Amino acid sequence: MKIFKFFITKIFLRKAILSISIILLLFMANYTTFIATRSILSTFQGYQEIKCMNQEGIYIANLDPDSDVDIDAIGENGTQIVYDYLNNNFNYAFYIDGFMVSLPNIDDMEISLSYMNEEYYELNQFELSQGTDLDFDYQFDKDKEIPILIGKGLSKTYPVGSTIKIEDPVLEQPITLIVQGVLKQNAYHYNFYDLNLKKYYNFSIFLPVNAEFIKNANIDLQLNGLMDIVILQTTKEKTVDLSEVMQDNLGLKFNFFSQEENFDYFNEYYLYSLIIMSITTLILLVIITCLSIWNALVSIRLMLRDFTINLLVGLSYSKLRKIFYSYFGILFFINLIVIFSITAYNRYEYWLRKDATLATYGFFGLIGMDWFALLVVFLSDIIIGKIIVENMLRKIKKIPISLGVLQ
Amino acid sequence: MGRSLFRFVDALELCTAYIFCFFLNLLFDYVKTLDLGPYILKAFFKNFMDYQTLIIFLFTFIVIVFHYQMLHRKKTEVYCRILVGDTILNITIRYSLDCLMILGFVYLLSILINVYLNFNLTSNLYLVFIFITYILISARQVRKYENF
Amino acid sequence: MTNIIDLNIKEKVYKNKKTQLSILNNFNLKVNAGEKIAIVGESGVGKSSLLNIIGLLDIDYNGEYTLLGSQTNNLHANELAQWRNQKIGFVLQESALINSLTIEDNIKLPLLYAGSGKFFFKEEDFENVINAIAIKPILKKKPLECSGGERSRAVFARGVIMKPQIILSDEPTASLDVENRERIVNLLFKMNKEFNTTIITVTHDLEMANRHDRVIHLERSR
Repeated sequence: MKIFKFFITKIFLRKAILSISIILLLFMANYTTFIATRSILSTFQGYQEIKCMNQEGIYIANLDPDSDVDIDAIGENGTQIVYDYLNNNFNYAFYIDGFMVSLPNIDDMEISLSYMNEEYYELNQFELSQGTDLDFDYQFDKDKEIPILIGKGLSKTYPVGSTIKIEDPVLEQPITLIVQGVLKQNAYHYNFYDLNLKKYYNFSIFLPVNAEFIKNANIDLQLNGLMDIVILQTTKEKTVDLSEVMQDNLGLKFNFFSQEENFDYFNEYYLYSLIIMSITTLILLVIITCLSIWNALVSIRLMLRDFTINLLVGLSYSKLRKIFYSYFGILFFINLIVIFSITAYNRYEYWLRKDATLATYGFFGLIGMDWFALLVVFLSDIIIGKIIVENMLRKIKKIPISLGVLQ
Repeated sequence: MGRSLFRFVDALELCTAYIFCFFLNLLFDYVKTLDLGPYILKAFFKNFMDYQTLIIFLFTFIVIVFHYQMLHRKKTEVYCRILVGDTILNITIRYSLDCLMILGFVYLLSILINVYLNFNLTSNLYLVFIFITYILISARQVRKYENF
Repeated sequence: MTNIIDLNIKEKVYKNKKTQLSILNNFNLKVNAGEKIAIVGESGVGKSSLLNIIGLLDIDYNGEYTLLGSQTNNLHANELAQWRNQKIGFVLQESALINSLTIEDNIKLPLLYAGSGKFFFKEEDFENVINAIAIKPILKKKPLECSGGERSRAVFARGVIMKPQIILSDEPTASLDVENRERIVNLLFKMNKEFNTTIITVTHDLEMANRHDRVIHLERSR
C-alpha cells in the first residue's frame, strides 16, 4: 500500500498530462462499450417482445408509404364500417397509446393511456406485481367502472381496488376506472418497426377496449388503431379483402405482412443492425486500446529512470506488475463511477422533465440493462487493462536494468 | 541531421496523430450524410454524433501527449544546440514552424478529401485552431530547457 | 576469512542486430568480507557490466555466482530484488537521483521495499547517516536545486541507509571536485572500517584505486 501510494503520488501523477490522457482514452473505450452493450441489449429485448408475433396466421398492418393520406377526408362512418368488417370476419389485436391525461399522483407526472383489446393483451402476456388480469367483458356504460391496470408509479396513489375519474380523451366524456392490478416495475413496450424505441409503463394506465368501446371512441382512436393492427388466424387472401375494404372506406392503402415476411424483415433488420454496431464498437475499441498502449509506452519512456532507480533499490517486477494493475484498476474504477453518474443522471432527467414514458425505477437509479452494460464494461476493462499492463512490463523488461540507464 | 529538432520518426508520429484527429472528424461528417436505415443504428450513432466536437477534442489530447514527450526527449538536444551556438529563440521558431508545416500538410490533405466528398471545407477548421494553440503552448515549453 | 563473493564468469555476450560483443571471458573473482576492491580498466572493457552482475542487476551471462553463501543463479526475481534492497548498496554518480523527489525521499527510497520483520528501520539511523554526511540543510530540496557534491552525498546516503553488507560504487567521484571526492571516498572507507562493509569500486581514478586493498585490472578479451 505504501509503495503503491508512493508510485501514485510521486511518479504517475507527476506527469499529469499522461495520466489525464490515459483516463480520457479509457473513458472513451468504456463509453463506447457501454453504449454498444445497451443498444444491443435493448434491440435484443425488443426482438424478444415481437417474437410473440411469430405465429402462423398472423398478419401485421402497415400503411403503404406511397398511400396519399388525407385525414380530413376520413369520417367516423368510414372507420366504423372497417371495424364492423373486422369484428365480423377476423380476430385482431388492437393497441394504441400516446394519449395523455392529467391525474394527481405523488410524482406529478402526466399519465399515458394505453388502449388494448383482449387479443393484444393475451398475445403479450403482461406481468403483474399486484392484483388480477384485465377483464374485457365489461358492459360499456358511462356509469359503470372500467377495470384497468396501472403502472408501478401510480400504485401508491391508486392502490388495487381504488377508483379513478378521468375525462377520457378518446371517448370525450368522463369515465370511472377501477384499479384491477398493477404492472410489474419497468414494464415496457417496443415500437414494432423501431426496435430501439421503448416506452415504459410506470406511469401508464391500461384500458381494456372491446367492440363497444371502439364504437363510442372518436376518430383518433379508431384511425390510429388501424395503423398497427394485427390480424390473427387468417390468410393472405382475407387480408387482401380487408385491405380493399380499408381502401374503399378510408382512402388509405394498407399492406399486410405475414409472419414469415415480417420475420425475414426483422431478422435482416435486427441482424444487420447488430452486426454494424458490433463491428463499429470493436473497431473503436481496438483503435482506442492501441492509442492507450502508445500512451502507456510513452509514459514508460519518460519514467524509465524513475523505474530503474526503484528497481535498483529493491522493487521487483512482480511488485511493479501489481502496482500497474492497481493503478489502472483505479483509473477504470473512476471511469465506471463517471459512466454510472452520467447514466443515473440521464435516467433522473426523465423524472425532472416529467416524461411519463421514460421514467424508470432502478437500483441507485439504474435499471437492469444499465447494470448489465456496466458489467460488460468492467469485463472489457479487465481485458484492456491486461493488454496495456503486459505491454508496459514487456517494454520495461526489454530494457535491462543497468547502471548505464542512470548515467 | 539539419537544424530541426524533428527526426523522420518524430515527424511521422505527429503526422499520424494529426491525421487520426482530422480523419475522425471527417468520419463523423461522413456518417451524418449516410442514410443508416434502421432506427436502431441511427440511435446508436446519435450517441456519438451528439457529442462529436467533445469527442474529437478529447482525442486531440494525443497530440498534447506527443508534444510533451517530444520536448522531454529533446531537452538534452536543445541544451547541446545552445552550447554549440544556436539560440533558444531560433530553436523555438524552428520547432513551431516544423509543427505548423506538418499541420498544414495534413490540413491540406483533409481539404482535398472534403472536396472529393463534397463536404463543407471549413468543417475541420476548428481542429486547426486547437492544434495551433497546442503548438504555441508547447513552443513556450522549449524555453524551459535552455539551462538543462 | 570467508568469501562473500565467489564469481566465475565464462563469458558475457552483448548482441545487437549486426554484431556480437563478448566480454569478461573466463573472469573469476573472490572477495572476502570487509575487503576493499577497486576495478580499473579501459572504457568498454566491461567494468560497469561486472558491477551489474555482482549487484544482481544482470543475470544473463554464462557463469556461476555465489553471494553470501547462496547460489544466485537459483534465486527468483523477487529474491534478487530483496537482496538488492537489503544486502547490496549502490553508490553511483550524482545524477542517479529521482528529480521529482526531495533529497530526503530519495534517501529513504530503499525503505519502501524493506518489508516488515527482517529489517527494522530506526529514525535515529537515518539521523546518524545524514549527520555523518552533513546534508541536513538540503533534505527538503529537489536534486536539481543542489550542487554536484550535495547530490553525490545524497546518492551515498541512499546506498548505505539499509546498512548493506556490500557497497558497489560506479565512478562515484567522476564529476566532483577534489574536496567532495575526498569526502565520498572517506565516507566509503568509514563504512568499511565501522561495519566491515565490503567495498567494490569501479573507477578511472588510479590514486583512489590504489587506496583499496586490491586493484583488479580488467583487460579487453581477445
